[in-house]
Amino acid sequence: MSDLAYESLEDVEFPDDIHTTSTGISNEKLGMWVYLASDCLLFGGMISTYLIYKNRPGEIAGLTGNTHKVSEYFDIPFTSMTSFILLMSSLTMVLGVNAVIRGDLTRLRLWLTSTAVLGALFLGGQIYEFTNFVVNDDLGFTSNVASSAFYALTGLHGVHVVVGVIMLLSMLAISFGTRIRAEAVEVVGLYWHFVDIVWVLIFTIVYLIP
Amino acid sequence: MSAAVTELDDDSPVNPGEHHTHGLSDGQYFKVFFLLVGLTALEVSTYWWDDIFNADTKKIAVPVLIILMVIKFFLVALYFMHLKFDSPLLKRTFYVGMIVAIFVYVVALTVMNFWSDSGTTEFNNPPIDPPAPFCATSSKPGPCPAG
Repeated sequence: MSDLAYESLEDVEFPDDIHTTSTGISNEKLGMWVYLASDCLLFGGMISTYLIYKNRPGEIAGLTGNTHKVSEYFDIPFTSMTSFILLMSSLTMVLGVNAVIRGDLTRLRLWLTSTAVLGALFLGGQIYEFTNFVVNDDLGFTSNVASSAFYALTGLHGVHVVVGVIMLLSMLAISFGTRIRAEAVEVVGLYWHFVDIVWVLIFTIVYLIP
Repeated sequence: MSAAVTELDDDSPVNPGEHHTHGLSDGQYFKVFFLLVGLTALEVSTYWWDDIFNADTKKIAVPVLIILMVIKFFLVALYFMHLKFDSPLLKRTFYVGMIVAIFVYVVALTVMNFWSDSGTTEFNNPPIDPPAPFCATSSKPGPCPAG
């Protein structure tokens, strides 16, 4: 990048130009992609487990608290709304990445905050759904194997969202410092979009396919 | 200013001179987003197809849902995650992980009788009548004859 560009974007640091690696890709970015590839395997295992048990809640007397399938309790309109919220957060995230590339820190902060708020709203929706299942439908984590697989899968995704929100808020705090690395925002964005992409799979496979 | 930024990765020692951009403009991202919203709305509509068409639409809805899910997956991966514009090494890393995951879990689902027997609620229960032990000295199945 030319010196002129650095003068224009003095608050934004582009590490691609500062150091090179043998792959031509920064270690942080490559590391995040390798992590995401390994996370595909983790979520693949959880989704497969749910698929195997979703119609097999089991009827072992004394061990099964609720023999109903989890899918009998789904509230599709509500889950569709939370899915839309997460989809919208992917848009705000990518707008944030574009803003930091342009060197527009004000909009970066706006989009990071929006993404974190949308992520928190999604989590609120998930907590509401879980509470509803446990309190109104008597379907807890140990009620039957299908419910265990469901809570483990969607709960693990929820934990990923929590980590994502923490990363977004950290980026927001860093943006108020002297310099922010554009690629750091991009790497956080990669993680956030992956969380969205996993929900695209979960929403279809778990909630919509009968 | 932005032109300088789009040339960030052009010094790659692996693929010298290869052109990388950093994705789409804000307006183009909005177009991708609205496409995703439309696909999601179509997905959600399948929930009411049985009532709307007054018929069992499962055989049509399931393939439609899977196709829409795959399209949405790749729209997010290619455009929002910049995979379309990034280094081939990153594409290979992600796709290899994904393909290995799909292969491993299709095998796992197959060995667990998912495709043929996923509706049996008694799958996890202990067997009601355990099979009789095998007798090596008898040609008939079941326990060894007395004496």
